[in-house]
Amino acid sequence: MSTPAYTCPYCRLPSDGSGTTCPSCGAPTDVRARVTKSGWAEQPPIRDMARIHFSRSTCQISGKYVPVAEMKLDPSDSIYFSHHVLLHAEPSVRLDMMKMGSGWNRRLAGMPLIMMTASGPGHIAISADHPGETFAVPLPANHAIDVVEHRFLVATSNVGYHWENSGIWYVTRNGDEQEYHYPLGQTMDRFSAQGGPGLLLLHAPGNTFIRDLQQGERILIQPGGLIWKDRSVRMFLHFEYPRGQYWFSSARWQAKAIWLTLQGPGRVAVQSVFEQPETVGGILNSSGATTQYW
Amino acid sequence: MDRIECQWCKAQNEPERTSCTTCGAPLDQRNVVSDSGWTEAPRLRDMTEFKFSSSTCQIEGEIVPVAELALAQGDSVFFEHHVMLWKEPQVPLSALNVPGGARRMIGGMPHIMSVAHGPGRVALSKDATGEVVVLPIHPSHEIDVREHAFLAGTHSLNYSFVRIKGLANVLHGGSGMYMDRFVTGGEPGLLLLHGYGNVFQKTLQPGEKILVEPGGFLYKDSSVQMNTAQQRFKTGMLGTHTMYLAEMTGPGRVGVQSMYVHHGTE
Repeated sequence: MSTPAYTCPYCRLPSDGSGTTCPSCGAPTDVRARVTKSGWAEQPPIRDMARIHFSRSTCQISGKYVPVAEMKLDPSDSIYFSHHVLLHAEPSVRLDMMKMGSGWNRRLAGMPLIMMTASGPGHIAISADHPGETFAVPLPANHAIDVVEHRFLVATSNVGYHWENSGIWYVTRNGDEQEYHYPLGQTMDRFSAQGGPGLLLLHAPGNTFIRDLQQGERILIQPGGLIWKDRSVRMFLHFEYPRGQYWFSSARWQAKAIWLTLQGPGRVAVQSVFEQPETVGGILNSSGATTQYW
Repeated sequence: MDRIECQWCKAQNEPERTSCTTCGAPLDQRNVVSDSGWTEAPRLRDMTEFKFSSSTCQIEGEIVPVAELALAQGDSVFFEHHVMLWKEPQVPLSALNVPGGARRMIGGMPHIMSVAHGPGRVALSKDATGEVVVLPIHPSHEIDVREHAFLAGTHSLNYSFVRIKGLANVLHGGSGMYMDRFVTGGEPGLLLLHGYGNVFQKTLQPGEKILVEPGGFLYKDSSVQMNTAQQRFKTGMLGTHTMYLAEMTGPGRVGVQSMYVHHGTE
């Protein structure tokens, strides 16, 4: 039995290594993986016009600032995506609506209400609406990942899509007012490959970094920086109160940091552009969390 | 002596040139074309310089590029007044006489168009990540541009605006009520556009159609017909959703931008 010549360090799928890009995720094969000393691997941008193969179709990534994913769909293949990311389509591509439950809950959670399907044959192009990196996450059969809402761009139709409560929240009190905060959003998207390998394309602002966490290994990240994680990775909040010299910088006032703890085993991906979580007022209640006073 | 033809604007260049003298496109790189025939607008190298009339334009920066124009005596450029980044003090400014002021105001178009006259330098830039697209326009050629997308036009261009035909196109097209139209007279002109994100161009054959997200439309030859194509989808208990796409029919060029605001779903 012959062994594959190349295993992509990003998607971990084998290929014959004959091309300059990985046929499964589009990552360049002719550059060394760039890994920081702390273990974060920089997800390399997909080269202009690189092709990703899935089923009998291909996906070509073009552009640098707001990349476009142009799919050449075989008649037997289809994809789904949120309707607002469609850029152009040939008239031969059949567009349809994807059946989704819990529309009212999705609307309340601020998630896209309309998901479309596109079936081959023909070309269809998808692009996000802000600068950043588009990257592919090939899913082996029966593998699932959790993705922060609004990062999803497009997936092949054999990738199952569900959404679940993120379970990450806290309540602040400011005067007489209480306010609920969901630093990851109220829900997270769960994508799972069913029956065979699937392809998922995500788009994140800034640069993207991925890392493997060992069993029990923990890392603190800004909640707004998470893109996706393996299902096996646990997450909970961590409140950190620095030691303050004066009353207004004291621990129980507003000088606090709100972190998301990720605990292995599993893979996580973060983006370099993020919003700071709301920190006005004292924290009254929260989902499971740890606290550190310095 | 052999000359090099620019793959973007088809101008002839001296063999030692590495960028086109007419549009600034790199001459030592091939056009980047996707499988379905969309050509990436050439990424102008930082500090690339090209000529128009007796003046020059230099493109600086890559994320939000600046177009720096060195205007010769007798040359001028016009632009929306809010795109001016800086200018030399001696460069005179005037307002372009644009007809239809009230209609322009109703249509959400700028009713003040500034003109900078040479000699001197003026620099123009937009307010978001994107690319400067340089379109040399040959005599008697017409091009329609999405409103607010144009960065500058040279004095040899005639500027007007055309109402988008059809109520459905206006209401659901996502391109506003009007499009800017640029026409050259007797001498060639140069048009600078700013596309948000990345810009791609496709040349449609006669009768060939393509569906484009209206927010992604950037420019087209006036020979390309633009109509609104309605897509209706049943959504079970939530009823029906209607999506509007711009149907472009050739012949001619169509340009799209990859970062846009989605329009047209009800």
